[in-house]
Parts: sequence; C-alpha cells; structure tokens
Amino acid sequence: MTDLPGYPSRRSFLKASAAGVAIAGVAGTAQAEATPQAPPLEAYEPAYFTPEEWQFILAATARLIPSEGNGPGAIETRVPVFIDLQLADDYGRADDWYMMGPHDPTAGADRGWQTPLNPAQLYRQAIPAFNAWCEAQYGKAFAVLDTAQQDAALTALQKGDADLGDELKIFFATLLANTKEGYFADPMYGGNHGMQAWVYIGFPGARAAYREWPTRHNIKYPLGPVSIKGERA
Amino acid sequence: MVTFLRILGGLVILGVLALLAFLFVPVQRTAPTAQLPADWTPAPGQGEYVAIASDCVACHTAPDGQPFAGGRAIVSPMGTIWSTNITADKETGIGNWTLDDFRAAMVDGVTPDGTHLYPAMPYENYRLMTEEDIRALYDYLMHELPAVHAAAPKTELTFPFNLRFGIRAWNWLALSHGAGFKPEGRSELEDRGQYLVEGPAHCAACHSPRTRFMSQDGILATDRSFLTGGVIDGWNAPALRGPESAPQKWTLDELATYLATGRNAHSTANGEMGLVVEHSLQYLTDRDNLAIAAFLKGIDGAAVEVPETFAAITGAQPPAEADAAGAETERLLTEASPDMPLGARLYLDNCSACHFVTGKGAPGIFPELQANELVTGSETKPLISIILNGAEVQGTQKRPMNLVMQGYADRLTDGDVAELANFLRTAWGNDAAPVTSADVAKVRAEGVH
Repeated sequence: MTDLPGYPSRRSFLKASAAGVAIAGVAGTAQAEATPQAPPLEAYEPAYFTPEEWQFILAATARLIPSEGNGPGAIETRVPVFIDLQLADDYGRADDWYMMGPHDPTAGADRGWQTPLNPAQLYRQAIPAFNAWCEAQYGKAFAVLDTAQQDAALTALQKGDADLGDELKIFFATLLANTKEGYFADPMYGGNHGMQAWVYIGFPGARAAYREWPTRHNIKYPLGPVSIKGERA
Repeated sequence: MVTFLRILGGLVILGVLALLAFLFVPVQRTAPTAQLPADWTPAPGQGEYVAIASDCVACHTAPDGQPFAGGRAIVSPMGTIWSTNITADKETGIGNWTLDDFRAAMVDGVTPDGTHLYPAMPYENYRLMTEEDIRALYDYLMHELPAVHAAAPKTELTFPFNLRFGIRAWNWLALSHGAGFKPEGRSELEDRGQYLVEGPAHCAACHSPRTRFMSQDGILATDRSFLTGGVIDGWNAPALRGPESAPQKWTLDELATYLATGRNAHSTANGEMGLVVEHSLQYLTDRDNLAIAAFLKGIDGAAVEVPETFAAITGAQPPAEADAAGAETERLLTEASPDMPLGARLYLDNCSACHFVTGKGAPGIFPELQANELVTGSETKPLISIILNGAEVQGTQKRPMNLVMQGYADRLTDGDVAELANFLRTAWGNDAAPVTSADVAKVRAEGVH
C-alpha cells in the first residue's frame, strides 16, 4: 500500500493511537484536580500548526526520539504538542528576544539567533521548503517517506546538504532542541506526558527535598517523579 | 384575694418602674482611678505609644483607609459591626468629646449621649488601664493625630441586638471587675507585663474563653480561666498558660522574639496574631516585650529568669533533630516507600523541602508542624486555608524579611488537602481529629481573605 502525500501514514497513525492508549493509562494515576484528560494525539487540534505542518512535526520528532528505542519516544511523550503550544505562545513570537539585525548566517552557534524570523515563522517557512527538498529528492513529502529516507533527509538537513537558505539555516538545530525540551520539560507544558521521560532517566521531578539522601549510601531512591502540578508517576 | 391582687399590682408597677429606670436612667460613669495633678501632661510620645500598645488601628482603620478614621467591618456572631472614626474631627469623629466622655467609652463602654458601645470594643480590658495612659491616649487622639473627616458606616444589627440598652444588662455580667490596674507584685518587670497583657494589649479578648453570654471568661491574672485559650473568627487563640502551652515550652527569649518579630525558633505568627505583631507588638520597647514574656512565663507560678536582651542575630541556626515523639514519622518519610499513605506522600512531594521530615522546620523561617496549635487546633480552617492559599508573615523592625509560603490550591484536590491535613494532624505525635474533603471544599470556596 502506498501512502498518499499529505495524508498521515499508517505508521504515524498507529504510533499516535498507541500514544493515545498510553495516555489513557497514565491519566488515571494523575491526582491533581486541574489536570483534564489529554485528548489522544490523533484527535489533538494544533494551536499553531497547519495540518501539513502537523504531519511533518509528528513524523520528524518520531525520528529524532524514536519509539522503537529502549525508552519512550517523542510520540508517546507528546513532544509535538509541546512544540505546537510553544510556537503559539511567547516563545513562538520571540516576545522578549532581541530581534533587530544585523543577522549573520555565517556566525557560529555561540552567536545566538541569526535569522530575522521568530521561531513560529521559522517553522512556517522551513517545513514547506524542506518538504519541497524531499519532493525533489524522493518524490514525496517528508511525512510519507519511509523511515530510512526520513533519517537520510534529516541528516542532510542537519549537515546543510539540504540547503533551505540563510534565514532557515537554524531550523534543524531549533527542531532538535525543541524536541529535547518537549521530552524533558515539565508535563504542564504539554510534552513529557505522564513524566515518562523522567521515569525513564530516573529524574524525580519537582520534589526538591532530598536532605536525607546524601548520607544514605548505596540505597536506590525509591520514589517516582512528581510534576509541578503535583501529578505522580 | 384583694390583698393578693394589691400585691400583684404593686409588683407590676415596681417592674414597670424598674424597666423604665433600666431604659432611661443614665448609666453612672466610673470615676477616674487616680486624681492627677491639674498640670499633669503626658510625656512626649506617651499617647502614641499607648495607642500602639492598645492596637487601636487594628479595628479603627479600614483596609487602605486613613489611620484611626474607622470604617472597618468587624464580623461578630451578632452581625457586622463597623468601627468608628476616633480622630478629632468634630462631625464624624470624637472631636467634641471631653476627657470624661473618652474615659467613659474606655472604661464603661458608653458614648457621651449614653449609647452603649458594642463590646467588640474591648472596654472589658481597657477599663484596667491607668488614668495616666487614658489621658495620654486622649491627648494624642485630640491634639497630635490629624483629624480626618470621614463618616464610618452605621452599625445596624438585627433584632434583638439592635436594642443597645440590652448591653446595659450584659455589662452587669461583663464588668463585674473594677476599673484600674492591680499589680500582683511579683516583680517590677512582671507587673509591667501584667499591665500590658491585662489592659492595653487586651490579650484576653482572644486568648481567654468566652462565657455563654459571650463575655470574656478570665479578664484578670487572678481569674482561673485567664488566657486559657479562645476561638476568634475560626482561629484558635492558643492557651498561654499550662504546661503544654507554647509560652511555657518556649524560653523567655523565644517568647519575646515571637512577640517582637512574628517568628522564633519554633513558630510564626499567622492570622490575627500576625496582625497584632505587625501593627502593635513590633513597635513596643524591648523592655515591654520582655515584660510581657516574663509575665506569661511566670503566670503559673514558675520562677522567671529574664535575659538582658533577646532576638540576637546568632548566625545560621541548624534545624532541630527529630525528637522521640517524631521519630516514627521521620522514619516513614525518610524511607520514602512508594507504598506510604497518600497523606505522607503528599507531604514529601509538597512540604518536606521546607518543613523537613522531622516536622521541625527551620528556626526563624519555617515553623514547626509538630505540636503546632495551628496544625492541631479544634478550628481547622487556618490549616486548610494555609495549605490552599499559602501564608505571609510580614517583616518587622528586628526581622525585616517577609516569610512567604505559596498556596497549593492549584496543585492539590480537596481530597488531597484532607489527606495531607490528616497526616499533619497525626504525624510526629500530633493527635487531632480528622478533617474531610467537604471541610476543604468549604474553605476553598471562601477563597483568600
């Protein structure tokens, strides 16, 4: 069966459904009053992304932190939701950033944000540009490539072989950073769903109280994490 | 039969006459307790100091209002009583009052036209003040404090409490003690403390229980119920005597530090007591706060050793270790088993970073929760409210830092708060009755106030 361009692939749909099951299972243990049950990922209505962009984000983050590793992937932890909410908010608008020029695309990474676009604009322009590169290279948009092609395309993007132009040069680094942030940030921001990433790495979350433990040698810390909103996992 | 009717008629007439007398014969004002020389004048600042020690602003200043201009709503079981303007303004304040008028209000609870004040005004206590202090206070209000033209809302209670002559009968019960101060003579300092506690600082208004007629049960140091604890607006005003009371367990230094700074090695002043520290006690002289502490320490007859100073800055103080009563809870929290009860788990997740697994908190910053009467009190609203809405202890002259606890209303459900409160009320040897989710829901619905 051939996946049609612009439609969710069977694979990403299955991943999204699996995430939905995981979410339903996790939400039952969440104790805080203010936490509404999150809709399954396939039913999520993006606050910022267009449907085409959303398919790209689902597919790209699923390759950056894949579900078939030994820990939870970007899909189960709802990283795409985190990125969507961030771009719809002050981060996406670069509200408190210095955004005046000059912008020097040849400057090193330590010189900061070297594009006049804010992050929301960056994603908006870079996704179709990268999809166009994939079309030229593979005849399909990124979301419907097979995983080997997706990995190759992302590698080309990271190395600059897929050149989207000076203003979009920072796109891959931004996407990767946002994906990591969505994986490890507190669940109140939409990602790290059910604190799965914290459970995976053994981070106990926002408890901030371990005075007894520096002197308790060779005893495994027994408690799972707690989120800023008070959920336990 | 005729004789009987005559007697009955006579009794009726006597009764009517007594009622008319009760209603219309003016109240006898109590005479001054001392005759001061004609040329007596208060020492500079004396009147203002008396006003501060008496905490007049607590009631006679509206939130964000002009000092002493009244207009604060005082919620009582009888209804809302509005405090009055006690500045020297002639129309809306007490500008036309003579010294005798003023003394009658302080000592007998009557205004110049004979109207009885509602006993939200603690004339039960103020009547113990010396003539010198009453005159100094009058002088301050009349001649030093700026007059403010501001009419306070009229107090309109519902029947029968709107019939102020009823207070005349109430006063027969409440004012059985004479005016003026009678020192016990334990020591000069303790006598000064007794004076402040009994009179101007009117501690008994909250810290003594109330009779069934709502008058203070225990007004004088010689009264058995004096300062044995009361309830005010849903808060426990703890007992200040008896072996389990905080003043008896704390050192004199710690007690004076609490009064002057709203905090000490064990606790913080929250609720009404926080306001008393903020508006009144922090401005008293060191000697007066030591005097109050000395009097309270000695109230049950113990020998009192008074330190030279108190509230010294001694550098970092390490948190206290758990004691025997707290050992079991400390072990539970230290083991941190995922199977621990929900209340204990919520404590670890939310509270233990500051109050510690010992429940001992940190000296001068985070209050002890073990044997803390706000935690274990019969009134549960304060504990629930502080968990939900947080708390703030205002900075004082000796300890300028505000102490702030965040609220957990967004982080904990009503059921969580009940579990947590019940853990606190039984942890570290605490032994208090449980609260329910419904109790929490009620406090949550009231919001912050």
